[in-house]
Amino acid sequence: MSFLFNLLKGAFLRMLQLIWFGKRKISNSLSIYVKTNTGNTLSIDLDPKWDIRNLKEIVGPQLGISPEDIKIIFAGKELHNSTIIEECDLGQQSILHAIKLPPGKNRLNRKKDTKNLIEESIDEGSEANESGSKPLNETLIDLPLEDSDRHENHSEQEQQQARAHFYVYCSLPCKSVEAGKLRVRCATCGSGAVTVDRDPQCWPDVQQPRRITVHCENHDCQTLLSSLAQKDEGTPQVRYAQFYFKCANHVSLGEKDEAVPLYLIKPNLRNVPCLACTDTRDTVLVFPCEAGHVTCLDCFRDYCVARLRDRQFEFDDNHGYYTLPCPAGCQNSHISEVHHFRLLSPEQYEQYQRFGTEEYVLRAGGLLCPRPDCGMGIIPPDQTDEERSRSPDEDDCRRIQCIGGCGYVFCRRCLQGFHVGECDSQQPTTYSSTSAVSCLSGYAIDPLRASEAKWDEASKKTIQISTKPCPKCRTPTERDGGCMHMVCTRAGCSFQWCWVCQTEWTRDCMGSHWFG
Amino acid sequence: MAAMSPSERRLQKELMSLMREPPPGVHVDGDQAGQNLTQWIIHMEGAKGTLYEGERFQLQFKFSSKYPFDSPEVTFIGGNIPVHPHVYSNGHICLSILTDDWSPALSVQSVCLSIVSMLSSCKEKKRPPDNSFYVKTCNKNPKKTKWWYHDDSV
Repeated sequence: MSFLFNLLKGAFLRMLQLIWFGKRKISNSLSIYVKTNTGNTLSIDLDPKWDIRNLKEIVGPQLGISPEDIKIIFAGKELHNSTIIEECDLGQQSILHAIKLPPGKNRLNRKKDTKNLIEESIDEGSEANESGSKPLNETLIDLPLEDSDRHENHSEQEQQQARAHFYVYCSLPCKSVEAGKLRVRCATCGSGAVTVDRDPQCWPDVQQPRRITVHCENHDCQTLLSSLAQKDEGTPQVRYAQFYFKCANHVSLGEKDEAVPLYLIKPNLRNVPCLACTDTRDTVLVFPCEAGHVTCLDCFRDYCVARLRDRQFEFDDNHGYYTLPCPAGCQNSHISEVHHFRLLSPEQYEQYQRFGTEEYVLRAGGLLCPRPDCGMGIIPPDQTDEERSRSPDEDDCRRIQCIGGCGYVFCRRCLQGFHVGECDSQQPTTYSSTSAVSCLSGYAIDPLRASEAKWDEASKKTIQISTKPCPKCRTPTERDGGCMHMVCTRAGCSFQWCWVCQTEWTRDCMGSHWFG
Repeated sequence: MAAMSPSERRLQKELMSLMREPPPGVHVDGDQAGQNLTQWIIHMEGAKGTLYEGERFQLQFKFSSKYPFDSPEVTFIGGNIPVHPHVYSNGHICLSILTDDWSPALSVQSVCLSIVSMLSSCKEKKRPPDNSFYVKTCNKNPKKTKWWYHDDSV
C-alpha cells in the first residue's frame, strides 16, 4: 500500500516539476552545454532570466550531486549564485563548467589547509565572488595598449557604453569584423575549467603568455604538469592563463572556434575626434604610435584604399609585415596585426594580399611573370659558379620560364618574350620564337601581312597612345589626374618621374610644370 | 542632400572653421568654395613689417578625393605672384609640407600659416635660383634629398 502511495506521490511531484519548469521555459531559451570535471557533458535549455542557483538546481540532480556542492565556472570566473544568466555574456551553445567540490570541504576550510600563496589568492577571489563577483566581460572595459596607462577609473556610465568592447576578425563563418568575446583556458591542459587569479588589465596581459596565473579544475592537469616538469625542469609549477577570443555574432561552434582580436579597434570612450574627418565616432582605430593617433573606421578604410591603389604599403623590416604606419607619419607605428586590413572589402583585401605577395617575391630577388593575367611569382634558382662557367652564353641566364603558371618564356632583363641578343626597348618581340618555328617547317608568311593581322593590335595601339612608360621599368602608365609628379606603382619599382619630361622628377619639373 | 564622403565632411568642417576664425591676413572665398568643395580660393595679405606688407595674393587649393590622406595642390594664382626664393613665377611653391611632409593631421589653415610664415621670414625678394646645379649634385632619390627644402629660414 505504501509502495503504491509512494509511486503516486512520485508521479504527482514529477508532474508538478514538469509544469513548474515548463512554465519557466516559455520565455526565449538559451541552449548551453555544461561540462563537468568528471567527463560528462550535459545539454541544457535555460531561461536567461534565471540565476546561477537555478542552474545548479537543474544540473545537480542530473549529475547526482547536491546543488550546494557545485561550482559553476565561465570565462575564467566562478559565477555566484545570485548572478543572472543573461548578464554573463553567454551565447547559444556556450560551455559552462560545473565542478563538484570535494565532499565536506567548503571553501573556508580549504583556505585553512593551504599554505600556497597562489591558492590563497584564488580563495580571496572566490570570496569576492560570494559577495557578487562580475563575470570577466564586465570587469574589462578598455584594455590599454601599454602597461603604463592602466590605472584609470571609468564611471558606471562609461562601463555601460562599453558592452561590446572587443573587435575580432571572424574567418569562419562570418568572414567579417565583428564584436568579440574574451575567453580563457588553462595554458597547460587547455581546459576551460579555470578561474583567473586576477583580471587582465591591459593588452599585454591578454596577448603575452605567463602574465596571469589560474587555478585549473581539470583532474588530469596535475598529472600533465608533473610529466612536463619531468621532461623539462624549467617548466614552472604554476598554471597560466591562455586568453583567446570568440566571435559574438555567430553561435559558438565549440571550443576550437576562435577569432583574431583586432586590438587597435576600440570603443571611443575618451571621445577623441578622428584625425582625418574630425568627427567623433563611437568606434575608432588607435594607431600603435606614441601619440596614439585616432581615426574613425571609415577614414581608416579610406586611408588604406588610397595607399593600396598607389601601392604605398610598406614592409616592416623587423617583422616582414606588409603594412601601413600611422597616417601622421609617426615613427615605429606599423600595424602588426594585419587582420585589421579585413576592414576593407573582400576584393580590396585580396588586392592587399596580392600586392604583399608580389612585393615579397621581388624583395626575395624573384620576379613576376609579365604576361597579362598571369603575374606568377618566380624565384629563379641562383646559378652556381660552375653552371655559369659551363654556359658562358649570357642568353641562358636571361631566359626565364613561368613554370607552374602560364608557361610563358621571357627575357629576365626586358620582361618581353624571350629573344636572342640585345633587348629592344621599343618594340616587344613577343612572337620572334614562333616565326622562327614557322620558317623551319617551310611555311612562308609575308612579314608585312603578319604585322597587320595581329589580334591585340588595337588594344596595343590604345595603350601606346594613352600611356607613357615608366622611365625605369618601362611599365605603361596612365595619368588620370593630379599633378605631373608620377610614382611608379609597379611592384618593386616606385620610381619618381615627371609626366612631361619622362625622366626622373626634379626640382626643375616642380618649378616649371608641377601642376601642368 | 546626398551623404557626404569623409573627405567632403572634412573639407566642409575646415571651410566652416576657416570662415569663422580666419588666421590674420587670410580670407577664404566662402561662396566659391561652398559651390565646389574641391577647389578653394584663399586671399592672403602680406604681413605688416615684412617685405610683402601691403601686397595681396591669391592662393588656389585643389583637393583630390583622397584628401586628407593626399596633400592638396597649392599654387599662387592671379596677377600678383610673390617674388620669393621658394615661389616660382608660375605660382608653384616649394614647401615640404605640400609633398613629403604632408600629414592628414595638417589642414588648410596650417598650410596657410606655413605660407604666411615662409613669406614673412624672407630677407630678400628674389625668384628661386637656377637650380640645375642642385639637381646635378643632389641625391638621386628625391625622398632622401632633404635639402630640396634646405633653407627653412628663407
